[in-house]
Amino acid sequence: MTRTVLGRLALGAVTLWVVITLTFLFLRVVPGGPFDRERRLPPEIEANVNAKFHLDEPLAAQYARYLSAVARGDLGPSFKYLGRSVNDVLRDTFPVSAHLGLLALAYGTMLGVAAGLAAGMLRGRLPDRLAMLGATVGISLPAFVVGILLILLFAHTLGLVPPALWEGPAHTVLPAFTLGLAPAAYIARLTRSGVLDVMSRPYIIAARAKGVGDARLALRHVLRNAILPVVTLFGPLFADLLTGSFVVEYIYSIPGMGRFYITAVQNRDYPLIMGVTIVYAALVILANLAVDLSYRWLDPRVKIDGKEVAP
Amino acid sequence: MIHRREFLKLVAAGALGTSALRCGGGAAGAGVFRTNLAAEPPTLDPNLCTDNVSLRVLTNLMEGLTAYDADLRTIPAGATRWETLDGGRRVRFHLRPDGRWSDGRPVTARDFEFSWKRLLDPKTAAEYAYFLFDVEGAEDYNAGKLDDPGKVGVSALDDGTLEVRLRRPVVFFPTITTFAVLFPLREDVIARHGEGWTEPGRFVGNGPYTLEGWRHEYKVTLAPNARFRRPPPGRGVSFFMVNERTVELALYERGDLDFAFLAPLDIPRYERHPDFHRKPMLRADYYGFNCRKKPFGDPRVRRAFSRAIDRGVFPRVLHGGEIPMTSWIPPGMLAHEPSIGLAHEVERARGDLAAAGFPGGRGFPEIEVAYNAAEETKLAAESLQAQWREALGVRVRLRQVEWKAYLKEISTDPPGIWRLGWGADYPDPDNFMNLFTATSGQNHTGWSSARFDALVAAAAEETDRARRKTLYDQAQRILCETDAPIMPLYCRAQNYLVSPRVRGLTINAMDYLYLGHVRVGPLGGAARPEVSSEARADYENAPRPPRRPRRGAA
Repeated sequence: MTRTVLGRLALGAVTLWVVITLTFLFLRVVPGGPFDRERRLPPEIEANVNAKFHLDEPLAAQYARYLSAVARGDLGPSFKYLGRSVNDVLRDTFPVSAHLGLLALAYGTMLGVAAGLAAGMLRGRLPDRLAMLGATVGISLPAFVVGILLILLFAHTLGLVPPALWEGPAHTVLPAFTLGLAPAAYIARLTRSGVLDVMSRPYIIAARAKGVGDARLALRHVLRNAILPVVTLFGPLFADLLTGSFVVEYIYSIPGMGRFYITAVQNRDYPLIMGVTIVYAALVILANLAVDLSYRWLDPRVKIDGKEVAP
Repeated sequence: MIHRREFLKLVAAGALGTSALRCGGGAAGAGVFRTNLAAEPPTLDPNLCTDNVSLRVLTNLMEGLTAYDADLRTIPAGATRWETLDGGRRVRFHLRPDGRWSDGRPVTARDFEFSWKRLLDPKTAAEYAYFLFDVEGAEDYNAGKLDDPGKVGVSALDDGTLEVRLRRPVVFFPTITTFAVLFPLREDVIARHGEGWTEPGRFVGNGPYTLEGWRHEYKVTLAPNARFRRPPPGRGVSFFMVNERTVELALYERGDLDFAFLAPLDIPRYERHPDFHRKPMLRADYYGFNCRKKPFGDPRVRRAFSRAIDRGVFPRVLHGGEIPMTSWIPPGMLAHEPSIGLAHEVERARGDLAAAGFPGGRGFPEIEVAYNAAEETKLAAESLQAQWREALGVRVRLRQVEWKAYLKEISTDPPGIWRLGWGADYPDPDNFMNLFTATSGQNHTGWSSARFDALVAAAAEETDRARRKTLYDQAQRILCETDAPIMPLYCRAQNYLVSPRVRGLTINAMDYLYLGHVRVGPLGGAARPEVSSEARADYENAPRPPRRPRRGAA
């Protein structure tokens, strides 16, 4: 077990190195640099700036410098936010994104699982149709549409919650809902198909025959077995939601790190782009590992070292 | 991206249009002036700042030796007076004795000397170090050719006197000292905290406000600086960083913001709003030619393109209060001369093109026009494309390029025609005219003229305003009429909403937002905001009677 985990972690480190290398190289291929501005700099000043940020060195040297710094946990200075390191920037913004992401994840999971369970158990009836209609809408509508519609309805027309900003609990309601809607829809669909699959199993029929009540059947016998595909989705979902969403943070003016996926690229802030990429990749790797480990706990038939495959 | 933004605007237009405008409310933060920066300030280190967002905060935290008055003339601020010696090669500034840092220490000439030499230090890698390149030894020191900062022509003669030695007479030098990169700095503060000295609790300034809080990516808050010679009457300032303009406007309408800038496409919806104001800016948009590329090496072709433009369409297309310009020095600046340039004359344009060998546009190659991707630039480019096709019979292909890639392209290999803008760093025509000298890094036209360069250089040294204007008139005729390597199009305006609760707001044509006099009162009373275009020094250095506050809306 420990060996397996260590092996997976080592593999994760290699994955991370590949991600870093590719991102590093791709960034230098994109035309335009961090210090290209409307006012073009005199050559001697450009030289000073390049020297300060080591951009005058050969690419290989820059790459080696960067890798060794990252190995020490130093993500380098931001090229855009002068005087702040990428570590500073992420330290300021990641907790906000994570806070929002956890809220969205919690509510998305609850809503999705509940709706999926109800839909699966009551297949073909009104709750099923409503839940699947809702899921289709939730998946299809982009966050910027949902976000703006929610602002219009709940903030602008009804005045129940603030339309934007990040001042207190009331300010989290709309963004968390917006961010959690699509995951809720995915989870609902996955849960439903899992439930349908389980419902046709002999042990369910046996349980019914023994007279197990609907609620007990659903929660104890159906859900635990139907939830595995949802847990698989949890890995990438967790990484996605915790590292922030550009659209949601943009619409609601939330000081998270999601904005950097776009703005750091626009600014050619190489270290910051690398920083958000590394954080995101590391979270995906870790979350997937955690998911694989949780299978064992959820379903003892699964062996994570691959010697035995789940039926 | 475009589609998303369009959609946001449509939705918001519908919603905001149908709802009654609600002002007031927002009890939280009453008395605090709340506005939007739209983005995180890249830095609050004056030496390093290069952008409007940082400037908007910094100019309320600090002040330089000089400031502007309503006509953008240079007037005393950190210095009470200055004199020029040696025929303009030496400038001596006398600091005000009551200047205080926010921690109580007096502001000395030494603080200016330290800041200016730090700006020039190659290790600082300040992008705007070239503001001081007219100072003796400055350029060499910055380029690493001179190691001893003592040889740079800036020295504090005593605590109250700063002397600057210039390598040539520069009549507008005191004007340059208004700019944020030349604000004074505290050596001890920077030594203690290093690059992180700009964080709240460490920041020490000499302006009307102190830095109370800076939640990165979200909000900067300023508190009145009680040690400033005239502390602000209000309770402070909150600068939010709301990226999405639609959301900014929703917040404004709820009363959560007291002031909001308007993007051009939002203007039609608000033009009749009582809070709407408009003010011309010293910011011009132009299209340039690549004179090294055929067929634009021929000035007749360039003149034909410039003459074919009806610049009157831009305010109608863009809705931002644009002022059409055929000459390059913008209105509001010395030597602005609207009669210079190639006015809209289709017949003459066709004649120019025929004389160049392309009668009726026959034989003229299809040309490429590039611009940076943005809603307004796209509208303007499409309008130009149609006008050139109509008037000259030429085929024009438009290509929009993402901003950074665009800048790279026009500074290395610009297409035949390209777009760019320029906003004044200091309100002197030199700032606009030296762009197109042979040695300027901003001159992407591939064109140069020894006579133009000589006129601009002579004008920079000319102390007599009338003679200066004559020199600039001649230079502008070369730039906009005879050689025409650029086509000036229009000067922009700033459009904004100010809550009726706000008093004493100052916005100038350089796009500065000076909040040293701002007060946010209750609703009611005079339901019109007082927006003054006058710089602060008008109130403070008041030997003359205070001017009547002028409404910003033109």
